[in-house]
Amino acid sequence: MRSLQSRLGYGLTLSLIAVFTVLWFLVSFSIQYLAEEYVTSRLRHDAEMLLGAIQFDKAGNISVDESRLGPVYSKPFSGHYYLITSAKQVVSSRSLWDQQLASTPVKTGEQNSRYMGGPNDQLLLVINNGFVKQGNALSVTVAEDFNPVSQSIRQFKNRFAITAIIMLLLLVMLQVFILRHGLKSISRIRTELQSLQRGDADQLNANTPIELSPLVNEINHLLSVMEQRLRRSRDALGDLAHAIKRPLTILQQLTNKNQSTLPADLHEGLAKQVSEINQLTDRMLKRARLAGQSHSGARFSFSQDLPELIETLDSMYSNKSITVQVNLTEGIRCPIDREDMLELLGNLLDNAYKWARNSVSITINVNATLDICIEDDGPGTDINQLQQLDKRGVRLDETKQGYGLGLGIASDMVREYSGTLSFGTSNTLGGFRVDIALPVEEDVFIPVDTEGS
Amino acid sequence: MRLLLAEDDADLVATLKKDLEAAGYAVDTADNGIDAEYLGDEGIYDIAVLDLGLPGRNGIDVLKHWRASGSTLPVIVLTARNAWHERVEGFKVGADDYLGKPFHVEELLVRLTALLHRSSQQPGGTLRVCDLVLDEERQSLTTTDGRIHNLTGTEFRLMRYMLLHPGKILSKSELTDHIYDLDSDKDSNVIEVYIRRLRQLIGSDRIETRRGQGYVFKDF
Repeated sequence: MRSLQSRLGYGLTLSLIAVFTVLWFLVSFSIQYLAEEYVTSRLRHDAEMLLGAIQFDKAGNISVDESRLGPVYSKPFSGHYYLITSAKQVVSSRSLWDQQLASTPVKTGEQNSRYMGGPNDQLLLVINNGFVKQGNALSVTVAEDFNPVSQSIRQFKNRFAITAIIMLLLLVMLQVFILRHGLKSISRIRTELQSLQRGDADQLNANTPIELSPLVNEINHLLSVMEQRLRRSRDALGDLAHAIKRPLTILQQLTNKNQSTLPADLHEGLAKQVSEINQLTDRMLKRARLAGQSHSGARFSFSQDLPELIETLDSMYSNKSITVQVNLTEGIRCPIDREDMLELLGNLLDNAYKWARNSVSITINVNATLDICIEDDGPGTDINQLQQLDKRGVRLDETKQGYGLGLGIASDMVREYSGTLSFGTSNTLGGFRVDIALPVEEDVFIPVDTEGS
Repeated sequence: MRLLLAEDDADLVATLKKDLEAAGYAVDTADNGIDAEYLGDEGIYDIAVLDLGLPGRNGIDVLKHWRASGSTLPVIVLTARNAWHERVEGFKVGADDYLGKPFHVEELLVRLTALLHRSSQQPGGTLRVCDLVLDEERQSLTTTDGRIHNLTGTEFRLMRYMLLHPGKILSKSELTDHIYDLDSDKDSNVIEVYIRRLRQLIGSDRIETRRGQGYVFKDF
């Protein structure tokens, strides 16, 4: 769907163009009409003045008292012409020179007007009046060159169009500005949503216009409900783990303590079952605790959580001196829930530390996917067994909680995030190598400074 | 070695306490976070086993408070939740080691020994000072002449404490504090009896008496 801003922008621009076009036509017609009206009325006055200057002699011949007329009628092709037609005679103004003015007959007391071509490409507005003077019917035709008026009108129209276009552009700009300003809260919410996805924020800013506040409040409400639900379920699972582990610990200790008095097979069976229950609950509970691809909860931070995790592992394996090499692109963000990521990396690194002789390496890259590669310089594992590793419940080393359980939990997590997990032999360190690719939402990697886009 | 066991599960405490005592620890227990924090602040413990799921005040807060008040008490954290973020949190607030439930007592004992050695800067493995070798599993002492002596519980505790603190003046009250738990009948005169026994084994010049101050184990 097109953006709200461009839709509003197009709509407003089109309606402005329509308004200005209609206005232009209206003004053009009006000005033309007014000019014609004005010229016509002037010509009528000229005709009446002419009528006053007309005299008939006894024979009924017309004579025009030129002194009563303005000089425009004497100057050739001045643009002002007259033609007097009586029953006997046709008298035309000197300004017509050798040209003729076609006259249409008109009844007494009537008037008609029309345009016609005149000398020197003049456009003449011609009015015809029918009069009776001293008992003689005459038609007085007065014409004026309309070109100068038309030219003024054209000039006015052009100026008007230019002004209108400038106004239109200014209005469009103003309107874009108003829209930007008005939609700022929407683009702010957009950037906030991005930082929400990245895990930089856990709520949207509730200080929004009233039109948007129900939406924002609803999102905030859902977020807090989801977060609460996740926390509650994690707490409940923690309590469940606590509750199950308590009798398990005691059962295990009773079994161990009574090793000498219990029949050997019974002891072995008990010990095995206890460790089975323990591993199963661990795995089930951890799977149930996964946040998955929800946007609630804190995100894992490579710059903060990863060093802490490595310190933790260093303390746990303080009897070994293991060098960890972290290959990490500066400043990348992890779009994955903190606890999930700690669980995933914790289990994988725990395996690596457990088997490594001297060094462990972690390589993290973010492209279309989040790629994690963990290698160690331990003994590695047989490729045939590797293929069974991530299947549920298959363990390579039943007694040592070896690669199996940790990798099982890791593979549960990868599955939850619809990623891939593969094992192999490290080329650089020679030991075990795990490769993980987790799909990430593209949005997450847009830099923060996209405001106003 | 005086050990604080902060764990709320009475059944587990009962079996664990027995095992720990058999391994030569004087064990005091706390079944809630508030007591645990109070006891830990006493400064009489050599090591603590702290469950994170304590009622009253959770283990993380207890540990945080200890560390905030400057305590360097070595702490092994026990937890049933076993989640990595908890482990990270535990180490971040100052845990020295971590053990997920359920655990084997042997593993806990190994970790306790390792942690004690680490915190008194003794190299790992068996406890060896000069030519004296203390086998903490068998609670026996190998002396300079290569003979192996089995020690009684109190002798072992006393010997271990001295080996872990060589060259330092150890007063009688400090020794009783670290050898006996709260419920024991503390008679500092008994210490003299045990010192005499140890002198017979390792030579009387190895343990010097400082009048009015206490004893010094010499590690030359």
